[in-house]
Amino acid sequence: MHYTHPSQIMDEIASLTPSFAGVSFEKIERLGSVQWPCNDDTDEAGTAIMHVGGFVRGKGRFLPTQYVASDEKVTRRFPLILTTGRVLSQYNVGAQTRRTENSRWHEEDRLEIHPHDAEERGVKDGDWVGIASRAGETVLRADVTERVQPGVVYTTFHFPESGANVITTDSSDWATNCPEYKVTAVQVSKVTQVSDWQRGFAVFSRAQEGLLAKAHAGQPEATR
Amino acid sequence: MSAHDPDQTVVRLANRIGEFFAAFPDQDEAVEGVAGHIRKFWEPRMRRQLYAYLDGPAAGAGLGALVLAAATSHRAMLCPDAQGCGTRV
Repeated sequence: MHYTHPSQIMDEIASLTPSFAGVSFEKIERLGSVQWPCNDDTDEAGTAIMHVGGFVRGKGRFLPTQYVASDEKVTRRFPLILTTGRVLSQYNVGAQTRRTENSRWHEEDRLEIHPHDAEERGVKDGDWVGIASRAGETVLRADVTERVQPGVVYTTFHFPESGANVITTDSSDWATNCPEYKVTAVQVSKVTQVSDWQRGFAVFSRAQEGLLAKAHAGQPEATR
Repeated sequence: MSAHDPDQTVVRLANRIGEFFAAFPDQDEAVEGVAGHIRKFWEPRMRRQLYAYLDGPAAGAGLGALVLAAATSHRAMLCPDAQGCGTRV
C-alpha cells in the first residue's frame, strides 16, 4: 500500500475488477473520458450506453419471489411501529443543513403520534415522551397529529441528540444488508427527562465543542 | 440476548438469503443462488465464521436447509482459505 500517485490505485482497481480492466490514468488523459465497463470486450473508451439490445447477463430475467417479512414484530410490550424519515428542509442526517437557516423550519426531531395513541398514554402535544424498543430508548417531544396512522409513530433523524439510532435495531434486508429503519416495534410513554444515552451524549457533545473552540482560539485568523 | 452473538448473526443473515431463494421452483438453482450470493457479498471473515459454526459443536444448528445445502456443496468456492475452512478440527 505504498502508493506514490493516484494512478497506481487506478491500476490496482483495473487489475482486480474485470469491468475496469481497461481503465488507466493514461487513457483518461488521452481520451478525456472513459465510461465503465471498459475492457478488451468493449470500445477503447468503454461503454457509452449500457444495455443496448440486451442486459449484461443476456435477456431480462424474471424471478418468482416471495414476501419476506421483517423480523420486527409488534407485541403487547412494544405495540407501536416506529418508522423514520426525512423532512425536505434538512438534508440526510442534517450535518450540512443543521448549521443553516433551514433549522428555523425544522429545529428538532419530534415524535409524530396519532391522537388515539396519544390519548391512551396521556400524551399531549409538546410533551416529552420516551420511545423504547428492543434495542434501546430515547426521548423526544410529541407531535400529536393525524399525519400518522393509529399504531404507527414517526420521527426524523436530522439531530444526533435525538438518538434515533439508539432505538432502531440491527435488522437488515437479505440482499444488500440495508438496515431496517422503517420498522421498529416500540412503546411510547410520557416522561419528564431525557434518556441516559441523551445525557451522556450531551456531555460528550459539550466536550467536543469545547475542544473545537480551544483549537480555533489557538489558530491565527487566516487558517480558520 | 442473542442479538449480538456473532454466530447467531451469521445464522440470521444466511437464513434470510435462504428464505428469498426458497421461492425458486428449481432446487439446484436455489442452492446456486444462495451460494452465489454468499460468494459475492460476504467478506472472508463472515464466510470463515459460517464454516466454523457449521463444523463446530453446534454443527450448524439453526441454519435453514437451503443454506446447509449451499454451504456443504460449495465449500471449495465459499471457503476463503486454501486449506479449506473447518477441516483443521
